[in-house]
Amino acid sequence: MNWKKTMALALAGVLSLGVLGCGGSTGSKSADKKVKIEYWHVASESFGGATVKQLVDEFNKSHPDIEVTAKYNPDMYKGLTQNLQAAMASGKNPDVVQMGYSYLNYANDNLKYTDLNDLAKQDDKDKNFLKNNFLPNVLALAQTEDGKQIGLPYSVSVPVLYINPDLFKQAGLDPDNPPKTWDEVKKAAETIKAKTGNAGFFMQEYADNWAQQALIESNGGAMLKKENGKVRAAFDSPEAAQAYQLLADMVKDGSGLHATNEEGFQAYLSGKVGMVCTTIGKRANFEKSANFKVVAAPFPVFQGKPRKVPAGGNFLMCFSKDPAKQKAAWEFIKYLESNDALTKWSTGTGYLPPRKGMDKEGAFKKVIDSNKNIQAALSTMPNLVKWASFPGQNGLKAEQLLIDVRDVILSGKEPAAQALQETAAKVNELL
Amino acid sequence: MLHSSSRTGGNRAWLYLLPAVLVFVIFYYRPLLEDAYLSFFQWNMISPTMKFVGLSNYQQIFASKEFGKILGNTGVLVVLLLIFNFLLPYGFAFVLTQLIGNKKAQALFRSVFFLPSTISLAVASIIFLWMYNPLAGPVSLVLKAFGLESPRWFKESGLVIFALSTIIGWKAFGYNLIVLIAAMVSVPRELIEAAKLENASNWTIFRKVIVPMTSPTALYVFTITIIFGLQYMLVPTNMLTQGGPDQGSSNIVYIVYQYALVFFQTGKSAAFAMLCMAVYVIFLFLKARFLDKRVHYEN
Repeated sequence: MNWKKTMALALAGVLSLGVLGCGGSTGSKSADKKVKIEYWHVASESFGGATVKQLVDEFNKSHPDIEVTAKYNPDMYKGLTQNLQAAMASGKNPDVVQMGYSYLNYANDNLKYTDLNDLAKQDDKDKNFLKNNFLPNVLALAQTEDGKQIGLPYSVSVPVLYINPDLFKQAGLDPDNPPKTWDEVKKAAETIKAKTGNAGFFMQEYADNWAQQALIESNGGAMLKKENGKVRAAFDSPEAAQAYQLLADMVKDGSGLHATNEEGFQAYLSGKVGMVCTTIGKRANFEKSANFKVVAAPFPVFQGKPRKVPAGGNFLMCFSKDPAKQKAAWEFIKYLESNDALTKWSTGTGYLPPRKGMDKEGAFKKVIDSNKNIQAALSTMPNLVKWASFPGQNGLKAEQLLIDVRDVILSGKEPAAQALQETAAKVNELL
Repeated sequence: MLHSSSRTGGNRAWLYLLPAVLVFVIFYYRPLLEDAYLSFFQWNMISPTMKFVGLSNYQQIFASKEFGKILGNTGVLVVLLLIFNFLLPYGFAFVLTQLIGNKKAQALFRSVFFLPSTISLAVASIIFLWMYNPLAGPVSLVLKAFGLESPRWFKESGLVIFALSTIIGWKAFGYNLIVLIAAMVSVPRELIEAAKLENASNWTIFRKVIVPMTSPTALYVFTITIIFGLQYMLVPTNMLTQGGPDQGSSNIVYIVYQYALVFFQTGKSAAFAMLCMAVYVIFLFLKARFLDKRVHYEN
């Protein structure tokens, strides 16, 4: 009896699908207006996912002729790039995607994208949208070496130093005066370890090299250099080794933590680590999940050397081929980059907005004024540099070698100088 | 008469086999051949041109330190999987069926042990990530109670394979246990009773009666422990370590995935897949050579 009912229901379902399918196709012919585009993003539920949904809903409501579908890609930009590559191989590309800054060169060399400058030129109302609304150093974040604008910066994040004020107090340190230099970080970490028994410091260990790049470049090192027109590894310098060795030494004497990224964050949020160096993009999540008051300080410097923080986050790229879809994608990009939408996005994630003048007036200014942690991050915006991005089809493999060497150095298997030299040789072979 | 009937029977047998053979050829052997073909090329899946590179993918693999490391990791992993998912359930199955008389207790243990098999590997991975957290996880708290400092489970080469294989152990233990229990329950009671009458110890009963009588099932569990276990490893490896630290938890199955869908070097990935196939073939050969003969098939 029961299975008959189920069968009947299933049959009815299949039939109605068929009917709807036909109805849909004839309907679109007569209406002939609604352009459907796909938006790929990396915002998980705990990282701005709700905001993406809200923004897409609002756009769809205010643009009756366009329908945007948002699609979440797990595993951050690496995951999205992998999915994108697989989708393009099967000829089903999305229209607008969030692309990580470190994949800039890889995307330029390997993916067929649509030039945003061309789209802007076709837009009679907003021919100079890019120039009018973004500072040149921000636009440069999504440009290749030879100045090609392959996308439009959307989310900007910088590494900051989060501290646990409770542990600082317990260790007799001043929580209102977080470490400003890496020497001070090292000393504070040792004090926390000695006085409270907890680990003092953790630097993010995501499947990328972003925070470590900030450390190396702030000490005067570099990730990549150009030799006779060819890109070569540059992280085998004494400056880079010295910066990395600082981390390894902290791990060795127990004041620093070497763990998977999730473990490190879990430990910080449950009050077992004094300081964490990671992206301002985690701010909203940390502030919500910690059982203490999360305090963020600007990325520390090396005594007497300028601070250099690579821009993390993503820029928007367009992959539409059909002119109608291209137009719709451009409308959607302009909407996402509007003052109003960016404020919502920043509030939902903790990212900093790339658009000119948002810290001077408007809704976002109110958000900044009420949150000191955002101010700490914003204060390092003048120190922005480009996230090192490996060119060529071995770029992804080269990135992995940097992740591998981090484990070698932090586990104390080899001194930083030696490990970095070996890895530089391997990377040069790939480039 | 007899001759001709057996011949038509033979033809008919082929006809009956045809659908299954076709499916097998199309879905198992064709991909294998295509993989072999792909392993001679350099290709990133979207480029319109595939570059023929001959044997260079294989040469690069054999010349790299990576390959030796991965084979070593795979060997260690297989030993650990055999302990967690073959030897342990074998012992537990014997204890549960032969030594615990109470039916209710038997049923309780069976369901308790089987429960983890119903949980997805992704969820299990996250649970174990928390359990092994070196600062805040339960394992570190237990170690602390003994005055020991928790190691960094997922960041030490060697330990990381152990930590990941316990996840597979936890997940696959229950299913293997149920299969082995079924085999042990079907050992004829009178054989065991007869042995008991002659004052055979439990150990003697286990070795001389249970082991030979359950050997076909044991061989099955032994094989799936290795073949499925290596494939199961993909999920926790990809979620928790991505093959790290420094390739310390990569294995011959994960490396295929990593080269294809992380680095997009499909040629090298295909070459690794062929080598993975070779590892399996060697294993099946060894199994046939040394183990199949000792198996006692009743019928």
